[in-house]
Amino acid sequence: MTSMADWPVVLPPAGLADARLFFTDHEWDTIDAATARILPTDHEPGAREAHVVRFIDRYLSGVEYVYAAADGSGFLQMDGKLADAWRARIADLGAIYRQGVRDLDAIALGQFGADFVALGEDEQDVVLERLSGAPKPGPVTRVDSDGNPTIQVYAFDDGLDFFELLVSHTRQGFYGDPIYGGNHDRVGWEVIGFPGPESLKATIDGTYSVREYYVQEFDWRDLIPHLRGEAGS
Amino acid sequence: MTRPSLEKGNNMQQARKPDPVDVVIVGMGASGGTAAKVLCEAGLKVVGLDRGPWLRPKEHFSGDEIKFLNRTYLWSDPRVNPRTVRMDEGETAVPTPFSMTPQMVGGGTVHWAGWLPRPRPSDFMMRTLHGDIDGASLADWPVSYDDLEPYLSKVEWAFGCAGLDGADKYEPYRSTPYPCPPLPPTRAGKRFYEACEKLGINAMPIPQALVTQPYRGRTPSNWTSFWNGYGDPTGMRSSTLTTFVPEALATGNLDLRAECYVREVTVGPDGRATGVVYIDALGREVEQEANLVVLGLGAVESARLMLLSTSRYFPDGLANSSGQVGRNATFHEYLFAVGLFDDEQPLYGFPGNYISGGSFQFYETDYDRGHIGGALIGASHVGQPVNWNFPGRPQWGSASKDADRDFYNHAMKVGHTLHDMPVESNRVDLDPEVKDAWGLPAARITHKAHPNDVRLAKWQVDKNVEILEAAGAWKTIPVYLERGRASGNTCHQHGTVRMGTDPATTVLNKWCQAHDVGNLYVLDGSSFPTATGVNPTLTIMANAWRCADYIVNTHAKGREARSTSGRPVQTLTRTSGGQRVDIDG
Repeated sequence: MTSMADWPVVLPPAGLADARLFFTDHEWDTIDAATARILPTDHEPGAREAHVVRFIDRYLSGVEYVYAAADGSGFLQMDGKLADAWRARIADLGAIYRQGVRDLDAIALGQFGADFVALGEDEQDVVLERLSGAPKPGPVTRVDSDGNPTIQVYAFDDGLDFFELLVSHTRQGFYGDPIYGGNHDRVGWEVIGFPGPESLKATIDGTYSVREYYVQEFDWRDLIPHLRGEAGS
Repeated sequence: MTRPSLEKGNNMQQARKPDPVDVVIVGMGASGGTAAKVLCEAGLKVVGLDRGPWLRPKEHFSGDEIKFLNRTYLWSDPRVNPRTVRMDEGETAVPTPFSMTPQMVGGGTVHWAGWLPRPRPSDFMMRTLHGDIDGASLADWPVSYDDLEPYLSKVEWAFGCAGLDGADKYEPYRSTPYPCPPLPPTRAGKRFYEACEKLGINAMPIPQALVTQPYRGRTPSNWTSFWNGYGDPTGMRSSTLTTFVPEALATGNLDLRAECYVREVTVGPDGRATGVVYIDALGREVEQEANLVVLGLGAVESARLMLLSTSRYFPDGLANSSGQVGRNATFHEYLFAVGLFDDEQPLYGFPGNYISGGSFQFYETDYDRGHIGGALIGASHVGQPVNWNFPGRPQWGSASKDADRDFYNHAMKVGHTLHDMPVESNRVDLDPEVKDAWGLPAARITHKAHPNDVRLAKWQVDKNVEILEAAGAWKTIPVYLERGRASGNTCHQHGTVRMGTDPATTVLNKWCQAHDVGNLYVLDGSSFPTATGVNPTLTIMANAWRCADYIVNTHAKGREARSTSGRPVQTLTRTSGGQRVDIDG
């Protein structure tokens, strides 16, 4: 067994960018269409332009592309118990996606008489409402229900259903580092104004810095009255 | 030092039995790394074992949100190390990734943001202050703030800590100033200070485990803002992986073996610990004998290992004659509120090293609030684009895209970790069904929040909201502890192997030495009688240093007094220098 500290870095194979590794063409088109309803294209790019479906396809293809090397030069070749765990996890996720595409089509056929991918956007939204069991979300309002239950800060894929995975992976493929096949041309980062790094390597070697976003001119005595010795401060 | 020789891994024979050593430390994180430094620098021969990998920051860490936050590169994998959780004994526990503190050399100090606040004197005397609270098992610590204070200073200076002298109006006695000044504020941090001034709240930079000026060979050089949850490739962050562990190795006295999974602490015919049995990286079973065993796996896994270590002497688990191993577990659920702003000027969601300003103003008990205890309030950035904190965000459609686009750079967060009450039935034990990847029973957590926890959390989250409103938030989103169900969303674990004076009701004495087993010490957060209201790592490390000092100066030199139970406590048999000399207690 190779220690996690010594997992080799495997260079990405030629043609990886254009490869379809897991989905059939029909599954690919269906997931592409579904992710485009999760983060739609408007006056700015959406999931489709970010190649979110490529991100998901690559993730589901096995354990070869789960972890990029720290500097982005390739991908880590996992081994041992962690590799076993990931193989089982990816197999579970792949099965959920396969069934999920069948479910999307079944709902679409039942309600509109055609596969999901052949439907118009509004019809696709109706299918996603059925799948999720809830109405399509409305815009953020100033006042809404009171309070949210506490949750895990980090996302694990284990235990999520197809719709939850679709939402979670669409976000990841839109906003994650381009090394994983999504966020094509950094469109996701541009949409929300995140000045992401040029490369993963740039986050190691000191070339990527957002120091200019810290407050440059300040005096702690201005910010903290207690330092000025003010009464009641 | 040795790394597992992986090239020779074809034949899976029993590994050659290694030579006995003075001390074996299980778990090389916050407490184990600290103990290794102190014991090795004092000349003891130490074997350090960690279940997880020994990673190299410059080679393994970078600003990859998918890898670190969504694919759990550091976070313990729940399929390898499963946990199960239930609210009470009537439920069947279900697999849940609860408090999945990284299992690796450096432990929780590798991925953390580096909160390094000091505890307060009141944290050590909750029962004296409040008496018995219904449904809780409040206890005083057998040590006080004053006992720990010199070690808090030692850790701050040896480890690296940034803070602002004189800014915290409520600060207890400090024997030393901060070694480094604080980071500059972020825009959101500045907004927090302004809101606090408006409300008459004393805010200050929260002490943080990083360096802001050249310090002990380190430079402040990570300005990427990929911080909370990520490994730091630069060494700016204080982690035992990059400080105390290399310092221990530099003595020549530490043999660090990573990816070695300890399945049992062994016990001899005299009831003393004889060492540990572990499965090495090649799958071989190895017995490591030692004169003294130190556990530092974290409160969940240390309790689990003790419960797994049954023997003729200890049929209910190692050093568990009290039946208290695993009980009174506390977990510091993180609760908070997010503010969304509609100002033209962005606050920016991403910059900073996670932590901004904070306040101890609402830390001490005020009975008018209807509960005991309080919290350290902390402002923090909302994080990177995939996982930025926006509870209740519209999940899909144009509303979802607009929510990110409109608010990612117009959001800030104020929150606290919950000073939860110890409850005897909140515990860690062994799951009867679920096994880990080595085939051993998973830790089962039974946890239901005490009513005081729910009231305290509600009051503090409402205070978080009030601060965000004073900061000018357009909308505030509170996150409460609903129905008493904690999610286990922090790595803070305490209380499963409590220290105290009475062997009938506690497991460890004031030196974190087992009442039942004189050569067993448990130095992680499991010794905490109560959770405290601050992030626990500084207290864990200071306490580990204090106890390691005791091992070096008293236990190893045979100066130990008789134990509280009146039985002589066996002391260390030194193997250093090739000869064994039994030193009586």
